Amino acid sequence: MTGAILFHELTARQRIAAIADKGSFDELLPPPERITSPYLAQLGIPVSFDDGIVIGHARIGGKKVYLAAQVGPFVGGAVGEIHGAKLTGLFKAAARDKIPCVLIVESGGVRLHEGSSGEIAIAETMRAIFECRALKVPTIAVIATDIGAYGGIGILSTCCDFRVMTEHGRLGISGPIVIEKWMGKKAYDSANRALVWKTSGGKTKYLLGDADALVHDTADAVRDGISRFLGKSSAVSLTAVKARQKELEKRLKKFGAATDPDAVWNGMGVRNIEAASLASGPEFVALAKRGK
Amino acid sequence: MITAKSAKRRQNKAERIARVGKLARGKFVVPGKVPEVLRRIIEPGDILCLEGDNQKQADFLANQLATLDKKDLRDIHLVMSCITLPAHIELFKKGMIKQVDFCYAGPQGTAVADLVKAKKFPVGAIHTYNELYARYYIDLTPRVALIAAAQADRKGNLFLAANTEETPAIVEPTAFSDGIVFAQVNEIVDKLPRIDIPADQVDFVVQAPYPMHLQALFTRDPAAITDVQVLMAMVALRGIYEKYEVQSLNHGVGFNTAAIELLLPTYGERLGLKGKICKYWMVNPLPTMIPAIESGWVESVFAVGGEVGMERYTAARSDVFFTGRDGSFHSNRAMGQLAGHYAIDMFIGASLQIDINGNSSTVSKNRITGFGGAPNMGCQPTGRRHPTKAWLKAGAEANPGPGSPPGRKLVVQMVETFQAGRVPTFVEELDATDPSIRKALHGVTPVMIYGDDVTHIVTEEGIANLAACRSVAERQAAIRAVAGYTPVGLKRKKRETEDLRARGIVQLPEDVGVRPSEASRSLLATQDIKGLVRWSNGLYDPPSQFVDW
Amino acid sequence: MEKFTKAFPSKPLPSKTASPWALAGVVGSGNLEVLLERGGRPATAMECHVETSIPGYKAAWLAALADFAHHYPAGGTKVTINDQGAPPVLVTLRLRQAYDHLIKGDK
Repeated sequence: MTGAILFHELTARQRIAAIADKGSFDELLPPPERITSPYLAQLGIPVSFDDGIVIGHARIGGKKVYLAAQVGPFVGGAVGEIHGAKLTGLFKAAARDKIPCVLIVESGGVRLHEGSSGEIAIAETMRAIFECRALKVPTIAVIATDIGAYGGIGILSTCCDFRVMTEHGRLGISGPIVIEKWMGKKAYDSANRALVWKTSGGKTKYLLGDADALVHDTADAVRDGISRFLGKSSAVSLTAVKARQKELEKRLKKFGAATDPDAVWNGMGVRNIEAASLASGPEFVALAKRGK
Repeated sequence: MITAKSAKRRQNKAERIARVGKLARGKFVVPGKVPEVLRRIIEPGDILCLEGDNQKQADFLANQLATLDKKDLRDIHLVMSCITLPAHIELFKKGMIKQVDFCYAGPQGTAVADLVKAKKFPVGAIHTYNELYARYYIDLTPRVALIAAAQADRKGNLFLAANTEETPAIVEPTAFSDGIVFAQVNEIVDKLPRIDIPADQVDFVVQAPYPMHLQALFTRDPAAITDVQVLMAMVALRGIYEKYEVQSLNHGVGFNTAAIELLLPTYGERLGLKGKICKYWMVNPLPTMIPAIESGWVESVFAVGGEVGMERYTAARSDVFFTGRDGSFHSNRAMGQLAGHYAIDMFIGASLQIDINGNSSTVSKNRITGFGGAPNMGCQPTGRRHPTKAWLKAGAEANPGPGSPPGRKLVVQMVETFQAGRVPTFVEELDATDPSIRKALHGVTPVMIYGDDVTHIVTEEGIANLAACRSVAERQAAIRAVAGYTPVGLKRKKRETEDLRARGIVQLPEDVGVRPSEASRSLLATQDIKGLVRWSNGLYDPPSQFVDW
Repeated sequence: MEKFTKAFPSKPLPSKTASPWALAGVVGSGNLEVLLERGGRPATAMECHVETSIPGYKAAWLAALADFAHHYPAGGTKVTINDQGAPPVLVTLRLRQAYDHLIKGDK
């Protein structure tokens, strides 16, 4: 219980170092190349040498992967032109070389200062992801921090074959404040952290099938979670899409009128809400299974 | 024989109560009648005490008082520890107050500064807690006290629950001088878990329509502790706690000391300090102490107040905390401050500003806060006679003269050299010396802790042992040496710093065996609030603003 | 934004380092990134380039960088900093981290 290094506390570079096989990471467009955003510089906003995303190739458990980690603290991990080009390029390379691609997500979506190029980059990356999927090249998103995956990056994450999440991770399209702004504080109080995590957090996403693995908040657990999916892929076909649509309709019918996220947990088999709230990763998974 | 004065006082009380008449049924008043009852029991010129410290507030009674106007109530001499609520400010805006004597105005600090600028804040003095309570027995004895309790029974006995805090210190001088005690309670019940204030000392009771305001003041989310704070905590543990074998102590409210608490079961354990330091505490039930308590570091904790969410945990750990027979938590602000004054080896706290002589203050022209309890503990109690290892060791370093006590309390200021937004903590002169503030306070600069009382300053740069300095110039040089890259720090001279370092008066992290590269949040016993709940085996119930699960 | 460049006298870097460059920290509120590279000039100075979002603290920056160059053999390195309002203590801490990383490589 003491002294563990939590995955969500690491920087993007530390996350990569912690999950890649020792010394195996080779960075593409590393900081000394100084490929930074010209737009931020013009606006008087500090730039970063990696423009908020570290990309490269590495091995995980001996298997070759393309690996990227977004830098959440840098403009919210948002996708600008350079950041977006690195992201798109990596997934394109994965499709070209038929090597699995792992993205450690930490982004609120498009960088407003360079909107169009961010939008285009996300769309192009999605196309590259689907190219990978058509070729059965695994694509995996890891969502493990409160910055999480929102906006275009929320959508992009769900385009990947698999999502590995921790209890700290959040996944959605509109962020809590935006939802509150449009729906009203009564419908969704963004200051209610418990509500926010119970609607967009890793545990709920796992229960609803939006996350494929829920793991402890440690680098080892995240690496094991990724490894589980490196040899697999999930089919993209009309049948699969239709089946997913059916599932979503069922979900809406079952929970559409629910006003309390605990009702969703209950409905998904979680009996002891208090114990489940405190449980992490596989312990939570076990509690949820027991109720089914 | 009854003296004329006491007869008058008693008679006057009887008249006030008679004026209330049928507005009360016995002692009990319904909420809607409270403003009128207040109007009838308070007289112009009264010393009126409003209960409210930095945690608990008689907020319903304060809000009702604020519905009155100058025509109802005027010339009030207000005495209270903390000006915390908008209702308190209202009383000044309406011109009902002729004088105020208080300790602290945390959340209303800006509003108070505005009142001072508008000349609507006729202040007597800013006090420390025990200083103000002491004056309740001398020259500021309340005629009417408006207090807050958790429960009353049908006779008017009061149960104060975890937040006893300052209630006894207000009720005793008021009740025993024929003053009127009016209590708001959350509930009226048939049987109390324990009686904290006997009905005999209570004149009126109202069941408030909402529970009294309680501020979760001492909850520090481990997630917000920085690596730099961990570094400072490591330096303090090695350079002060370990060096002096500090056994009894008080921690202020802050992330620096929260980091120390969370390092005890990890870094402290590794240093083999368990059982040697940090056994006896005068501190509120800090959630960040849970891991140290669960790891067996702590013998006892006495508190000046409770902390929201710690009720079940403290009841389960009544071998450590002071509790009633039923396990319910007990606190007492006056006694806690007294304990912190006389009976501890060390006080360690933070401040917004420290000047070149080691004086500290949180007051500026635009924000007048005050002191609270820090100065009661952050000072040298020259009335102390009992020795402890730490006291004697610090005393020997201070090289006491023939007319001085042989020991010293460790009074430690632990600050980062810069506050948020690159505002320097170290300054040549305190903002509190501003002429307008001094004028409002009758020539007194509101210093929180005097430099002469401070034994050590800890920053991310290292430790300055002020007690070991032999001159004012030397003390100034020691402060500059740890003031980092603030303007005060940039004026240090390399040779002076090296000389002080050679004599152990200034110690850098490596001088006390701390490698800065080792300082990391991963050393903390837990990195978030959820971890504290896990450490407590589910007994800690954090306030909702801290819960994300 | 404020930009400045200055070289500080420093003993030469060890001739062999674990990697040619090292980066510590991230650009975020109250934080900064430090890129430390071999190949700065001259070999007896630490060449520094700073870009900071909060102007007006040049004296503190220069003092912190000078102290680092004095305490560590960093001659022949090039330091580039992107800052978003970090306190000076973080400047020193990140420099140390980058330096350790440059000399010893990944922990």
